[in-house]
Amino acid sequence: MVQTRMGDGMKIEMSEDEIREDIVRGVEDAVDRAKIDTLPQEEIDYLTDLYTRPSKFVSVEPGNEVVLTFDEGSVKLKRLVISIGRIPDLQIYERVFCSDTAELAHVDYSFKPVKPIIAEEQIEMEQALLSTILPLYYGAMPNLSLYSQPDGEFPNPAELLPKGKIDEAQKAYEGMIEHGIKDMVFVSSKMYEAGADGINFDTTGSAGEPDFLAALRATEKLKEKYPDISIEMGMSNEFVLGMHGDLEYEGTNLAGLYPHEQVKMAEKAGVDVFGPVVNINSSESIPWNIGRTVAMMKACAEEADIPVHANVGMGVGGVPIVETPPADSLCRASVALAEIGKQDGL
Amino acid sequence: MSSELFEQAARSVVDADVEEAKKLANQALEEDIPPLEMIEEGFTSGIVEVGRLFDRGELFLPQLMGCAEAMKEASGILKEAAAAAGEETAEDIEIVLGTVEGDVHDIGKGIVASILEANGIKVHDLGTDVPTNEFIEKAKEVDADVIGTSALLTTTMGANEDLIKTLEEENLRDRFKVVVGGGPVTERWADKIDADGYAENANEAVRVIQDLAN
Repeated sequence: MVQTRMGDGMKIEMSEDEIREDIVRGVEDAVDRAKIDTLPQEEIDYLTDLYTRPSKFVSVEPGNEVVLTFDEGSVKLKRLVISIGRIPDLQIYERVFCSDTAELAHVDYSFKPVKPIIAEEQIEMEQALLSTILPLYYGAMPNLSLYSQPDGEFPNPAELLPKGKIDEAQKAYEGMIEHGIKDMVFVSSKMYEAGADGINFDTTGSAGEPDFLAALRATEKLKEKYPDISIEMGMSNEFVLGMHGDLEYEGTNLAGLYPHEQVKMAEKAGVDVFGPVVNINSSESIPWNIGRTVAMMKACAEEADIPVHANVGMGVGGVPIVETPPADSLCRASVALAEIGKQDGL
Repeated sequence: MSSELFEQAARSVVDADVEEAKKLANQALEEDIPPLEMIEEGFTSGIVEVGRLFDRGELFLPQLMGCAEAMKEASGILKEAAAAAGEETAEDIEIVLGTVEGDVHDIGKGIVASILEANGIKVHDLGTDVPTNEFIEKAKEVDADVIGTSALLTTTMGANEDLIKTLEEENLRDRFKVVVGGGPVTERWADKIDADGYAENANEAVRVIQDLAN
């Protein structure tokens, strides 16, 4: 029997056959949902071997290392109740965690609330750039929900839809998109002009496909304005939630797109690095979750013409949904995604 | 042929065709098909399929609302007939629903509310960031059968445990069934905190709540 975990982090023991069966079931679920190719037998064997090794820690073979990119880096150590400012936090990512890029972010982590404090953020970015050498992004979430009542001026679609006011809800979303684009372009422009190497649109799609569309359009505008700006786009969910239902980008309805389809939209908009998400099912085992995750991530990487950096952390990318991800699951998911999932980075 | 009518009923819900759903409900009554059988075998099969398609990203929120409306209208006609015939319906079940304190995630809870309502369960939706005492006060006020909570964060799921403890302290634990759900919540967690039920998605919530209330 081998020790592994459930999706909620609970330790369990499974036999090698059970682990293999769960990996296969997870792959089948991904194939069925995302309409992608299955994994060949040798890759199932590799994953089974990876998840039945008794060692607590595993790693990739030399030469198979991938880029490590951290989103929201400058506010994450604070969550561990470490009294630390944002710049020392970034320095730790650079010099202790060996991160290849990092991201300055505000604790509100949405573009809208950064608007009134943009001058302060520019100063912080300038100081951060002077005390680090790694490529430094500025990141936030499009977070379109902030543009509807009670936080914004548009009627709240979550209240309109249950009343059957579908047209009104769709119009509200369309207004929210325009305001979101404006804020994303404003904040990103200011931070790029302050020296940021790039911008990260993180947790894109959290308010459904209107949120995704706003980030795509903002990317287009920024690329037009600053052709050399680097744009990273991280997703929030394995498929784009259809909250509006009729929004298209370049002739494709955005609702319901899976990672291998999302990345093509991102490419068309001019995104440089794409961060796909595959969610964890907390009621299934980690072997089931990793089979599913790797199948979807591999399909995305194979479809992509830009670098793909999988989101790997709490509740995504084959890692249990616990506040501090366990090392045994985190390292195995990282190896699986690098070796089989064909990711360029994590 | 009732099986054909059941299939048409299910299809009308999936297609969010309110008028067709109402027409089929009336047709079932004319053909002396028991109203509750028409709901369970026909329209409910449709709403279960709707939940499945939504869960896979193949059907979107505006369509889901239309499907729920078709289900609600058709089952309304049939329930009225069932009540006239003295049959007990799910409408007798009342639930107080909300996202726990400190958590503002609304989408999943809203979908559960719509599907519960479509299945004839009366929902008192308290919204998000709901303190424990508000769940209890509302449940007492409306004499609810079930309190349903949603928690999307590992840091907020503990509020479910607080709710159950508070119900015990106030000697109300036997009065209300507690059903929990949300991303980090599992059946094991529900068992651990002594909740009465756990639902992974909206369809399962309907089944669990109906089982608990009956």
